[in-house]
Amino acid sequence: MDKSEVVELQPRSIGQSVPRKEDATILSGRAQYIADIILPDMRHAAFLRSPFAHAKITHIDTHAAAAVSGVDLVWTGANVGELTAGITAGLQVDDYVATTQPAMADHEVRYVGETVAVVIAESRRVAEDALELIDVDYEELPSVNNIEESSAAEHLANDGVPNNVIYRHVRSADNLEPTFEKAAHVLSAVFYNNRVSASPIETRGCVAHHEWTNNLLKLWSATQMPGYLRTMLAMFLAIPEHTIEVVTPQVGGGFGQKAHVHPEELVVCLVARKLGRPVSWIEDRQENLLAGTHAKHQVNETQLAVDEQGKFLALKNYVSTDSGAYNCLPWTASVEGKVGVTTMTGVYKIPQANLESVELTTSKCPIGAYRGVGWTAGQIAREALIDLAARKLQLSPFEIRRRNIIRADDFPYTTASGMVIREGSFAQTLDRLESMVDFATFRERQTKARSEGRYIGLGLSLFNEITGFGTRAFSAIGTPITSHDTSTVRMDPTGTVTVTTSFVAAGQGHSTTFAQVAADALGVPLEKVVVRSGSTANTYGLGTFASRAAVIGTGSIARAAEMVRVKIRQIAGHMLEASPADIVLENDQVHVTGVPSRTMSMADVAGAIYFAESTHPENFDPTLEATATFDPGDSVLANGGHAALVEVDIETGIVKVEKFYAVEDCGQMINPMIVEGQIRGGIAQAIGSTLLEELVHDENSQLMTTTFMDYLLPTASDVPDIVIEHLETPSDLVPGGIKGMGESAMISAPAAVVGAVNDALASLGVFITQYPISPERVFRALENRDD
Amino acid sequence: MKKIAENEVVQVRTNVNGRAVSFATQARVSLADSLRYEVGLTGTKVGCEHGVCGACTILVDGQPMRSCLMLGVQAEGREIQTVEGLAIGLKLHPLQESFKRHHALQCGFCSAGMLATALALVRENPAPTRAEVRDAISGNLCRCTGYETIVDAICDPAVAEFARNEKSNG
Repeated sequence: MDKSEVVELQPRSIGQSVPRKEDATILSGRAQYIADIILPDMRHAAFLRSPFAHAKITHIDTHAAAAVSGVDLVWTGANVGELTAGITAGLQVDDYVATTQPAMADHEVRYVGETVAVVIAESRRVAEDALELIDVDYEELPSVNNIEESSAAEHLANDGVPNNVIYRHVRSADNLEPTFEKAAHVLSAVFYNNRVSASPIETRGCVAHHEWTNNLLKLWSATQMPGYLRTMLAMFLAIPEHTIEVVTPQVGGGFGQKAHVHPEELVVCLVARKLGRPVSWIEDRQENLLAGTHAKHQVNETQLAVDEQGKFLALKNYVSTDSGAYNCLPWTASVEGKVGVTTMTGVYKIPQANLESVELTTSKCPIGAYRGVGWTAGQIAREALIDLAARKLQLSPFEIRRRNIIRADDFPYTTASGMVIREGSFAQTLDRLESMVDFATFRERQTKARSEGRYIGLGLSLFNEITGFGTRAFSAIGTPITSHDTSTVRMDPTGTVTVTTSFVAAGQGHSTTFAQVAADALGVPLEKVVVRSGSTANTYGLGTFASRAAVIGTGSIARAAEMVRVKIRQIAGHMLEASPADIVLENDQVHVTGVPSRTMSMADVAGAIYFAESTHPENFDPTLEATATFDPGDSVLANGGHAALVEVDIETGIVKVEKFYAVEDCGQMINPMIVEGQIRGGIAQAIGSTLLEELVHDENSQLMTTTFMDYLLPTASDVPDIVIEHLETPSDLVPGGIKGMGESAMISAPAAVVGAVNDALASLGVFITQYPISPERVFRALENRDD
Repeated sequence: MKKIAENEVVQVRTNVNGRAVSFATQARVSLADSLRYEVGLTGTKVGCEHGVCGACTILVDGQPMRSCLMLGVQAEGREIQTVEGLAIGLKLHPLQESFKRHHALQCGFCSAGMLATALALVRENPAPTRAEVRDAISGNLCRCTGYETIVDAICDPAVAEFARNEKSNG
């Protein structure tokens, strides 16, 4: 059977908003998160972190710290460096500059928050007391503080990266000059996207226990990628992979930040092995804001050429990423910019493009994955220029998009950046959004509001999203990774079903949605399925990120279930004296097609397979368990759109989001309630990243926003009620017609917020290109406008 | 007020979830840490330790409090309710049921604090408006849900009915 095979999956439970199986455990406070893993004899780790963005470590004295009562061990980078070279990360493409980040800095620190020592003690507070006694002499080096300084390359942020350039990539190099010359309008702007933090409410953490008597290492980690983490621990720590188990407990939100191999995880494993006792590291919020990966810090220099009718002629984009000092693993510094240029033309017919990305090192925390990876900032830039063009041509934001979207009769459409778009309900999305926001009357309301001194605005954003990232999709974005996630399906002797999967959850509800899939695949009721995940003792896989789990989880469970179905059909056919091909599994029964009276209960069939050889056909292999992977035959494209309605108070500069609208087409939904939860949560993050959240560094790359009092997450007062409508265009690449969607709102909704603010202030000649749009930025934009 | 030395271990007598509890702690340990590591109730979550995120919110003498901003020793003689004390026997509390019904949680890390804040609100005001709910929970950060379903859950008629009954039963 081909790994991309689309096996039969008839939706029954799929499509229903069934309540989540995991909720009672969480709501009663009984779920175990990483900080709730408390083992006998466990010790606690605390890290000393660099106060400088770039410095030489000339001397470290740990004697006083080691002498503190209750302290077991103090290690510096020199100790750690004897055991591991650290984390090497790069892309498998020509000329890519890989970096190696020491698990703990030894001679040199390259960002504020990089670890320089670790104390293991009887409690976190004793470990923190001891940290204060560690004496470190630093000799400051020049820091590389932004993209301009990095490009100038007067100083290097990381001497392993020549000229501060990790990778330069030209995705599309059409000569646009003739087009720009003849265009009716060329809209240009430079967009400064803010550095943000995914900020899961649960910080990062892990607990390691190395059993010296049998050399087995068990690492509990709040990770989205337990399988990958296990392999990397084996490689970077030279520990045989089969002796490692990585366990993911309940995870308090990931959003991409927990889809990395973190240096601290290596150190915690090593100290646990050294001590022969379990060691727990639970970072605090300040550490998380300092050293949990940062995200989305880039500059887009963008130009869009249009003709008199508003037809798009060409798009130019040059994206520079302020990458921090190292590549994160596995995504590298190219996680956003290089990925972004592959899809920059979006859902529009733009015949020519010139798209280039460059990742530049700076003296900051490495940039990493955060929901909407690759697309958020480019989407803002493109949609904002489309709105500018509409304004110039006096077209509505809906009309200009309508004139340019890729339509069903254009499929398969090859974009100027070489992406093949074979599906999408872009026209329906646009129509639906226009009626949802009642655009026919919006401009009147806007004009009336303006006459009352109020500034309301509407912003619009259309997107498509590569979901269910498998090998083909990774290849399409120029990131060669082979997809290999598996699930195991077992029918138990009593006819119940146990699914184990490599996809761990951080709030996505897999215990419920995967059970829905398995129930439908085997024709059993939902309550007869249990989903177990979270340990590498079970199945293996890359992990939960990039809207993958719905697609690859469904595909792998459906393929494994098909292998089990074959066995059930064989034996039931034998017992009911029918051809296996005529056996139907449904409603917890097995019957002969068209003859519902010739039936057996699922439990009787399963029981016969395990316990009654006399019922078996000749040469029957009584295995009711199968493991399968799934790797979609092509990129699975979901799509949709967002519209935001805001009011800007031009006295205070405060932007209030009044209403939000979303249209989502992720094919057949497994559980609409969960889909809508993903949309609402993503929109809240979109509002945060465009209006509130910003990791601010001073001129020496010192982070200024190290608490939630400075780094502002959206609250219940900042996020409005959200109107959601669904289109359901089933995928023909995935069993059940399912597509992914978890990233979508953070791809597209930020552009809708930005568009709405700029629409509200358009009559004042204001166009804001620096984010987040804080009250101060609104104030300055109003001050500096051309009258 | 009694002076406590820096590393002195103090025995604290309190009431947690309707049971008399005694635990030994140092003066500098937060109530959140005391509950989690000294009483052994890890349902209370710690998200920022600065009193901003609200994940550690518990009820102290019926009032929602940030347990990361209180010290364990301040629990002496108080009535504390944590998320573990919410279920009635082996059944979820109506507010918990409502959270489940409305998909008012995803990762669940904020839920314990959100439930404590919500419970205090509906005990005071059994049928709050959506705006009142948003105002009340604005000190509890949730990174997953976008808040709307949490508001739905707290405004559910079954919650209002429970709160009214609880009020009339004193």
